[in-house]
Amino acid sequence: MAALKTSAPPAAGGAPDRPRIVRKQTVSQRLRHDWPLLIMTLPALAQLSVFFYWPSSWNIIAFMDYSPYRPFWENPFVGFAWFGRLFSDPYFMPALVNTLQFALAQLALVFPLSIFLALVMHSVISTRVRSVFQSIVYLPYFFSWVLVVTVFIQMLGADGLVSNWMLGFGGDRLNVTADPDSFMFLAWMQWTWKDAGWGMIIFLAALSSINPSLYEAAAVDGASRWRRMWHITLPGIRPVIVLLLILQIGTILTVGFEQYQLQREAVGYQTTEVLDTFVYYRTILSSNGESLGTAAGLFKGIIGLLLVLAANHIAHRLGEQGIYQKS
Amino acid sequence: MSTTDIRLQKPRVKNRRPSWDEEPSLFGKLTKAAFLICYAAAIIIPLWAVVATSFASEDALNRAGGNLLILPTDLSLRAYQEIFSGGALTDSLLLTIILTVGGTAISMVLTIGAAYGLSRPGSLGHRPLLMLILFTFLFAPGMYPSFLVVQQLGLFDNYLSLILPMALNAFNLIVLRSFFMTSVPGELIDAAKMDGAGEFRILFRVVLPMSKAILAVIALFYAVGYWNIYFQAVLYTPGLDTQPIQVVLQRMLMSTQGLPGAASNAAQYQSTAAAPTAALKMAVVVCTIVPIVIMYPFIQKHFTKAVITGAIKG
Repeated sequence: MAALKTSAPPAAGGAPDRPRIVRKQTVSQRLRHDWPLLIMTLPALAQLSVFFYWPSSWNIIAFMDYSPYRPFWENPFVGFAWFGRLFSDPYFMPALVNTLQFALAQLALVFPLSIFLALVMHSVISTRVRSVFQSIVYLPYFFSWVLVVTVFIQMLGADGLVSNWMLGFGGDRLNVTADPDSFMFLAWMQWTWKDAGWGMIIFLAALSSINPSLYEAAAVDGASRWRRMWHITLPGIRPVIVLLLILQIGTILTVGFEQYQLQREAVGYQTTEVLDTFVYYRTILSSNGESLGTAAGLFKGIIGLLLVLAANHIAHRLGEQGIYQKS
Repeated sequence: MSTTDIRLQKPRVKNRRPSWDEEPSLFGKLTKAAFLICYAAAIIIPLWAVVATSFASEDALNRAGGNLLILPTDLSLRAYQEIFSGGALTDSLLLTIILTVGGTAISMVLTIGAAYGLSRPGSLGHRPLLMLILFTFLFAPGMYPSFLVVQQLGLFDNYLSLILPMALNAFNLIVLRSFFMTSVPGELIDAAKMDGAGEFRILFRVVLPMSKAILAVIALFYAVGYWNIYFQAVLYTPGLDTQPIQVVLQRMLMSTQGLPGAASNAAQYQSTAAAPTAALKMAVVVCTIVPIVIMYPFIQKHFTKAVITGAIKG
């Protein structure tokens, strides 16, 4: 995403180490020169046009009383009526609240865990231990949610392995995979299992880019292990933390779909309904919800857009790099 | 220049504590070791139980009285025989393999083309085109509009709808583009151009051979995406007989784990003949894990580089 800052500004003279200077040429000269590059870019642009920009323009039905069963031009425009309806919809607000809850929980419980894991890992001296541990904890990131949910049900479900152990010791069966009250805990375990290990990869890289002579100098001056962590390590990875926080805030309304849809039946929709599942059940699985569901999706998209821009602006004000820079 | 280069010259290549660093207390060391072992065990034990159960015979499972077991007493390959016997599960696995291979190939063509096409400094129109790609990070078109477009294109209930809508990942594109810009020496490309090589020739003969590692990582990311396809199949191809393996796995799971509390009595549902055995379910899980685990060690050492290129330098 930060590509904006590495795209060498061509108008400003280009990179001095690249001798090719093209800015004095006319468009047709440049076209004759650059057409193979444009041809190479074409398939990707076609894909984006058809599957990103074309659907994006279909969001117009959020402003119409749309029905797929009549010709497009017969659908009347209704302005922002659907957005008003959203907030009086009995299912939308709970879905929005759940989404925010899950997103904030991820931010507060999983993100710091990744940092903590990276700090622990960084303090391990043996490269062998490090590489074994990293191989293990990165692996679940590549598993699908279907697989993660399956494994969790087999382990922690009412008939799962842990339940059987507890029965064997005279205890009760677990009900954590079907209990709305503990779903947040279950979701937290799933995020941790699947993603927290992978989350540390970027912090590890940031940690190893801190100049080791800083530590040495601090140690010689008598700084303890904790003071070195506080004054060298944490400031050293602060830009990365800020960057990832911005990215997470931008996607705060996108907590994923599969994890919630897969556990909806067992846990109940009241707890697992998030914006994406709301849209799915309103538009795809029921009739007459097309415009309302699209309005919900558009609401999500616009808020996400504004959040990224705002978070990036704040990061600039705080003196951090942010995702992209004004060039 | 970049964080990745610094990573290559790791400060602790010698595997030894630097002389200025005081030795941590025994308690501290033990706590750390215990934490790491527990964390790794929490990931490994469930996976081990899955594998063990997939090889367990029905008797052993009944004796264990549940879904999973840690120590398979008498081994049985029945579950795997059933998967590969040519039935619906075999079809589903084949379909998923074809989707993964085909989808990854298409994705790589799109990604490499655009990444190189937009990586040459000062080329015609590369800035507005790049903007078009970067905008996809900021906004999402929404589920129903995307669904409408798939329908209008006639791709509903067509396997192509499991590839084409997500064939391009802008993140991978940006990662690859910045790799081309920073890690492939511009002088080399200019020299090739002096020798009269066209852009396509430069791409295939100069740039791609120098980028094998990053290409492998990106291909893995795409392949995992296609291999794990679930939601798109639920959305775009619900009517087809042969479904991707994740959908099949989800159906098997739901057939025994239906309503809340319904499966609380183990003996009760073991009598339902139609329900797939735990061994079969776990064997399917193993089949979905194995390709990932096989690919993984080859590519793992390049992960950091790819992720950092994408997230920090962009």
